[in-house]
Amino acid sequence: MTASPMTAHIKPVIDASRRSVLKAAGTALVASANGLPALSLLTPTDANASKAPATGTWVATTCQGCTSWCPVQVRVVDGRAIHLRGNPEAKGNHGKICPRPHLALQQVYDPDRVRQPLKRTNPKKGRNEDPGFVPISWDEAMATIADRIMELRRNGEIHKYAIFRGRYTALNDILYDKFTKLLGSPNNISHSSICAEAEKFGAFYTEGYWNYRDYDLEEARYILCWGADPLASNRMVPHAINFWGGVRDRAKIAVIDPRLSATAAKADEWLPIIPGEDGALALAMAHVILVEGAWNKSFVGDFVDGKNRFVPGQEIQPLQTLASAAAATATNGARDPVLVPVFAEKHTHGLLAWWNLELKDRTPEWAEPICGIPAAQIRRVALDFAAAGSRAISWLSPGACMQVRGAYAAMAAHALNGLVGSVDARGGVVTHAPTVTRSAPAHDAYLDDIAKEGLKRPKIDQRGRLEFPAMASGRPGSGVLTNRVADAMLAKDPYDLKMIIAYWSNFAFSCTGAQRWEEALSKLPFLVHITTNASETTMFADIVLPAPHQLFERWGYVNNKQNLHSYTTLNVPVIKPVADVRNEETEVPWLLAEKLAERGFDLPLRYFKEMFKDPETGQAPTNAQEFTLCHLKTSTRACWDKTDPNWGKYGDAIDGWEAFVRRGVWNSKRFTYGQRVDRFPTVTKKFEFYSSTLKKALEEHAAKHKVTVDEVMEATKYVCRGELAFVPHFEPALRHGDPQEFPFIFFEHRSRLNREGRSQNCTWYQAHKNCDPGDENWDDVLKMNPADVARLGLRNGDLVRVTSVQGSIVVRLKAWEGVRPGTVAKCYGQGHWAYGRVATKDFARRLPRGGNNNELLVADYERLSGSTARHGGLTRVRVERA
Amino acid sequence: MAKKRYAMVIDLHRCVGCAACDIACKAENNVPVEFHWSNHIVETRGTFPNTTFRYIPTLCNHCENAPCVTNCPTTAMYKAENGMTLHDANKCIGCRLCQLACPYGVIFFNKETPHANYRDSQAAIPGATFSGREVAERAGAPLPYYNPARAATYPGVRPRGVVEKCTFCDHKVAVGEEPACVTACPADARLFGDLNDPESKPAQALARHRPRVLQRDKGTQPHVFYIREYGKA
Repeated sequence: MTASPMTAHIKPVIDASRRSVLKAAGTALVASANGLPALSLLTPTDANASKAPATGTWVATTCQGCTSWCPVQVRVVDGRAIHLRGNPEAKGNHGKICPRPHLALQQVYDPDRVRQPLKRTNPKKGRNEDPGFVPISWDEAMATIADRIMELRRNGEIHKYAIFRGRYTALNDILYDKFTKLLGSPNNISHSSICAEAEKFGAFYTEGYWNYRDYDLEEARYILCWGADPLASNRMVPHAINFWGGVRDRAKIAVIDPRLSATAAKADEWLPIIPGEDGALALAMAHVILVEGAWNKSFVGDFVDGKNRFVPGQEIQPLQTLASAAAATATNGARDPVLVPVFAEKHTHGLLAWWNLELKDRTPEWAEPICGIPAAQIRRVALDFAAAGSRAISWLSPGACMQVRGAYAAMAAHALNGLVGSVDARGGVVTHAPTVTRSAPAHDAYLDDIAKEGLKRPKIDQRGRLEFPAMASGRPGSGVLTNRVADAMLAKDPYDLKMIIAYWSNFAFSCTGAQRWEEALSKLPFLVHITTNASETTMFADIVLPAPHQLFERWGYVNNKQNLHSYTTLNVPVIKPVADVRNEETEVPWLLAEKLAERGFDLPLRYFKEMFKDPETGQAPTNAQEFTLCHLKTSTRACWDKTDPNWGKYGDAIDGWEAFVRRGVWNSKRFTYGQRVDRFPTVTKKFEFYSSTLKKALEEHAAKHKVTVDEVMEATKYVCRGELAFVPHFEPALRHGDPQEFPFIFFEHRSRLNREGRSQNCTWYQAHKNCDPGDENWDDVLKMNPADVARLGLRNGDLVRVTSVQGSIVVRLKAWEGVRPGTVAKCYGQGHWAYGRVATKDFARRLPRGGNNNELLVADYERLSGSTARHGGLTRVRVERA
Repeated sequence: MAKKRYAMVIDLHRCVGCAACDIACKAENNVPVEFHWSNHIVETRGTFPNTTFRYIPTLCNHCENAPCVTNCPTTAMYKAENGMTLHDANKCIGCRLCQLACPYGVIFFNKETPHANYRDSQAAIPGATFSGREVAERAGAPLPYYNPARAATYPGVRPRGVVEKCTFCDHKVAVGEEPACVTACPADARLFGDLNDPESKPAQALARHRPRVLQRDKGTQPHVFYIREYGKA
């Protein structure tokens, strides 16, 4: 190396305006012993920060930019966050991160963040009303909210209080659960059902698992993705990215997706399905697997004489007269011809019933015109998949089932794992290893009569009604109907809401039928929004509270799983918060409880003070910050406290709280295969092709409403009748809009840069958006097949108006071969008319950058799970030059 | 000590096109948002349904025969002894001949003082939201996520009137670390090291796989090599 280039940095590197804040210090090149340059420092003038080395320190915390919830580390220099990396101690994401954590730097330092509590001064509410926000103190904000709560309690209307939860940590059990109940409201409304509840439906009503599955990528030999795009989104992104090269070496990969997704681009087969017809494809694959005798006989069983009776179109009598030796063995040596079960089923239940009721006619040739996939490809993929046996993964995602009639598609896609025996198997689809955290203590003793009365009221979301079974975990009426709340509020059915606290949620943007939310929130008397940015929902708020950024500015923890490990990972305040924030899940309820106590209602505060104590000191909390740590330390105690009976039993043995904070993550032991087989928590304990579990739930729901299951099917928009309701079966896709008037099927997808709907105000998001196949930087393009573009006389790059029965947006057209003719695709996330000056085209004038898909998508539901249907092409559109 | 010849091998089979490299590079090198030291080419080919998509990560090729160096009138752009193509911002007169000469479009010119959004005093909602300047002040740096380590070998933020480009993170390499795009790659698709060391990761990869370079016909002899295929051929 020559000397002169290495002194380049001596030149002042900052302009005059910066010198007031920074000065170049130690600018002379310091040569270390080996002749390599040592680091020179740019040191803030602030004297107490100058001790920190320029390289800073790595501090552990958690990224919640998607639901992978990865343990990460932040490099902190002089109290500033400057870099992100995966937590090397984590076994789930094994030290890797996707692009999202890097983007978070621009979120926490977003110039458009809410700086302090605000109150509205313009009583009129609407998209184009200026809220007239003025700054207020935390004290005033808390007092105002407490007054409202007291008023509702005084008037016997506390059930008209609701909390809306969006992104959350496990500490949400205070604000979302306990605090709400202690006030006396039944209305803790989570965002879960706009996310993926229909996906859980598929696994639950076959194998009794109401949860997301984990996948054994290291051992798999075939991966069949149903809309899943694991290289870009949900729920193990960095792990999948890191393993994908190896997966491609070891396994075949097929991706079913109407769009050439990030994962489809790295697959062996792309099956560009017609949106919403996943069920037809899954059933045809099951048909092929049976007809060709390719099912896993050691998991499912076989015909007693080994003769395959799965012949297309032919029903099979389950009991037959058999004379063969095999049959004789099967019937304990009886010589006389008697009726015996023709199929000896092992770890599954109802295969012949499924065949007879549904599969026998579901040939690939039948499926081809419905789902748009050639019969030959269906056959090839089905047989390749089955050939991998128990190491074949059928990977279900929201895309294939968050559809109006998606519940049975979810079951069909997941049932393929049953056919090949990959459930709970090495190289297959698995569940999770246990974690050791616990939630907040019982609150029952702190409920007063007002609270008890309020809690008797039905929830606002209409769950459990005939048309909304919402059968989470097999219990009718137990699932949340997030998106239905807007309709319930507008119709005042079952009653009106008077007060909502919404945190890290933005339903006016993120829910289909977004216009309904704008209307409902306009009419709501009192909204508190806890948010980092002035989002769409904020514009309707009466009080705005600045939220800490979950990755950098607050305590918390979450549990999740990747790579066959569960883990508990801490949210840690790694920097001094940029804004004047309070931990929304613990500090805000504590501060409110103090205000309520001042107003004569002290039960929440007593619950917090009497039921929580620091596990190290035994001291009860005396303020909001202490309360947060008491609860966090107690919840995670088995991760770090040697005296806890579960310490070290199920995973890492971490010695002490400080060591846990330093490490940031507790890893479970590796998942153990095969513990669930024949112990599935289904009605039959088997993997159910004929779902006795679903039958029980549907019959319970029907009985509650004194109707038949057929009437339940009708009320929930399903077309099947009779026993078909209990097996995965074909349901035609339901779409809003007449095909003549709205010729294109519109569907949406996710971005690998989406930190849910929150990263669009980051310039790095906009400047790299074309890493999503087909997309463009700084834009929000509608992707259309070039043949359709030409047919309509349009051109690539035209501004087009996209119109559905519900609404209309104007976006740029992109001619792209990665979508099927007759369909158009657009990414979710852009189209903000609030949130900040990058996310919008013009913040002051409420002009969006692109258009929000949720203004096109009609609010409809997969009613059995309570899900919002946002996939499957549920809305048709027409596209015209704008 | 044998002379080093630093190079990068990008394994397209492992790359998933996530752009973590691009964003991590920006954070490491305090790069203005519209400058892409680390970048990518995206290509969609074929006709539906026989469509393929590929993503080719790009960066300065640190060419052996670097047109930016030969065309620089002031020797601001130069070849370091370790094979890196580096830039002395002190000598740069902003003539942009390097930019014109580079066939890869990886050199960027600072027309304005960068990171203007953090000098802006306007708030989206006055009194309710911050301005960029306020956030910078609260963070304690003109660019809140400013990385001071970058300033070891290059201006921490390059001033108005000079060009800038990828340096193979020479400031990190100098202290025994790998470039930011390498450590940030969740797919482990980037291999960085000394080609004169046959044991180095890039040397090993080049021995195993047939390498390709971008625009070989230009005769620039890049030190960024590509191996294997992104997707189906």
